[in-house]
Amino acid sequence: MAHCAVLTNDLQYDLVNKNEERRAAVAAFTPGMQRFLAEMRTLGVPVVHLQLINLDDDPHAERYDGWLPATKGSDGARIVQEFLAAEDVVVEKNKDSGFFETELHDRLQELGVDTVIITGMQTQICVQTTAADAFFRGYNVIVPPDAVVSARPEDQARALEWLGSYCATIITTSELAAAIAQDSLPTFSVVPIP
Amino acid sequence: MTTGVIQLDHGTGGGMSQELIAELIAPRLGAVHSGRMEDSAVLELEVNRIALTTDSFVIDPIFFGNGDIGKLAVCGTVNDLAVSGAVPRYLTLSLVLEEGFALADLERVLDSVREAAAAARVEVVAGDTKVVRAGEIDRLFINTAGVGLFERDLELGVGRVVTGDTVIVTGWLGNHSIHILSLREGLGFEQRVLSDCAPLDGMVGDVLEEQGRSVRCMRDITRGGLGTVLNELAEGAGVSIRIERQRLPIQHETAMAADMLGVDPLYLANEGNICMLVAPGAAAEILEVVRRHPNGGAAQIVGTVREREGSPVTIVGTDGTETVVELLYGAELPRLC
Repeated sequence: MAHCAVLTNDLQYDLVNKNEERRAAVAAFTPGMQRFLAEMRTLGVPVVHLQLINLDDDPHAERYDGWLPATKGSDGARIVQEFLAAEDVVVEKNKDSGFFETELHDRLQELGVDTVIITGMQTQICVQTTAADAFFRGYNVIVPPDAVVSARPEDQARALEWLGSYCATIITTSELAAAIAQDSLPTFSVVPIP
Repeated sequence: MTTGVIQLDHGTGGGMSQELIAELIAPRLGAVHSGRMEDSAVLELEVNRIALTTDSFVIDPIFFGNGDIGKLAVCGTVNDLAVSGAVPRYLTLSLVLEEGFALADLERVLDSVREAAAAARVEVVAGDTKVVRAGEIDRLFINTAGVGLFERDLELGVGRVVTGDTVIVTGWLGNHSIHILSLREGLGFEQRVLSDCAPLDGMVGDVLEEQGRSVRCMRDITRGGLGTVLNELAEGAGVSIRIERQRLPIQHETAMAADMLGVDPLYLANEGNICMLVAPGAAAEILEVVRRHPNGGAAQIVGTVREREGSPVTIVGTDGTETVVELLYGAELPRLC
């Protein structure tokens, strides 16, 4: 039997409110994502929120018009309430991939997880890099296209195509919920480069 | 050392400078350091032709998965000398240090310089240390000069390239760039794609020893990647070069990362990868020599030199379509070396 966990990326106040484009995309994504997370919790699937904390001394951290969003302890760094439940786990990260110098891998191992369902924002950055990193670490990776969000649909489409080509099974949240209920999660297999 | 960090007084040339050099830098460099602490190194040479190169290293971050700025400085300089056909022998090492830089980190870098220099059989014969105020540079920059000796009766150069020559690439394309970019941004590839930074003097030496007469010219594939190197070679020799996409040595994870980042591995920098143009009749033997080397296992024949016709460099895709490999122009990724 597969043991899976849901990973969300960057669903934090500062980050979802970066600009109007992003606010609109997240607003459209929120109701479905809330339903999906609730269903996963009901099925006993752990939900792990990857929380980006930007470090003051990181020259590569993205600044918004000169200010550094999502700093440690700030309101803007908090996970958006609509996505958070008391039993969820929050893991701090400082870079795009949720595995980069974090405790994520250890936490997943403690939970006995072998399959990760990677969700959140943005598809073409944190979802993509966390998925690649998970794949390299031996996890089976699933990305539901209706549980990821990007400000620009074209970025999301390209990222999903990349994920499906290289490292992840792309199935919708409803297909995923059915697969979990039937204990028949799909497994990604590498497609050889021609 | 009185404190654990670099201070401005370490760069004044006075007592603290001398202490830094005598108690930290020289001991760390150990046997590869043969300077006499005078204004100039005086070298007795037994040849009348030398290769001379210089390079600066500003990589960010200075420590990466399988190396650091010290190893990079030695390897980058050694490889520039080796591809000219010279045997790398002497290096200079100038350190520009930011006030507040940890001495322990400086020791790590110097250990790497020592190990890389020992591996490449080069001596550090002169050096310099400067300190600038905090914020004026990012931790540590290194400048080197290198001297190589022409000990073989061989002349390599783009002028020797002729139609029909074979193009060999000695290692995975783009790995150094992907490793560094992934480390900077935490992209998840940094443990799967390591830097190729390595001294290649041994590989080049073996090739020249066994097949030197068949080697036309060699170029270190650094900034601008293979695409830029081939364009420069084709322009210099007045020929066209055609390569084949499916023959390019590209690690699967590097292809993944490049595809994600929207960059072409053809234009990504390496720090231990050489493009060789060789006589076609000797290409298979040269490939075999390269592959014997620890850093040559991925080597491939990737293309052919043709009479100039149309664009200097073209690539045949997996679908058989031939497209132009443009000269990289201003899209360089910063601080990879």
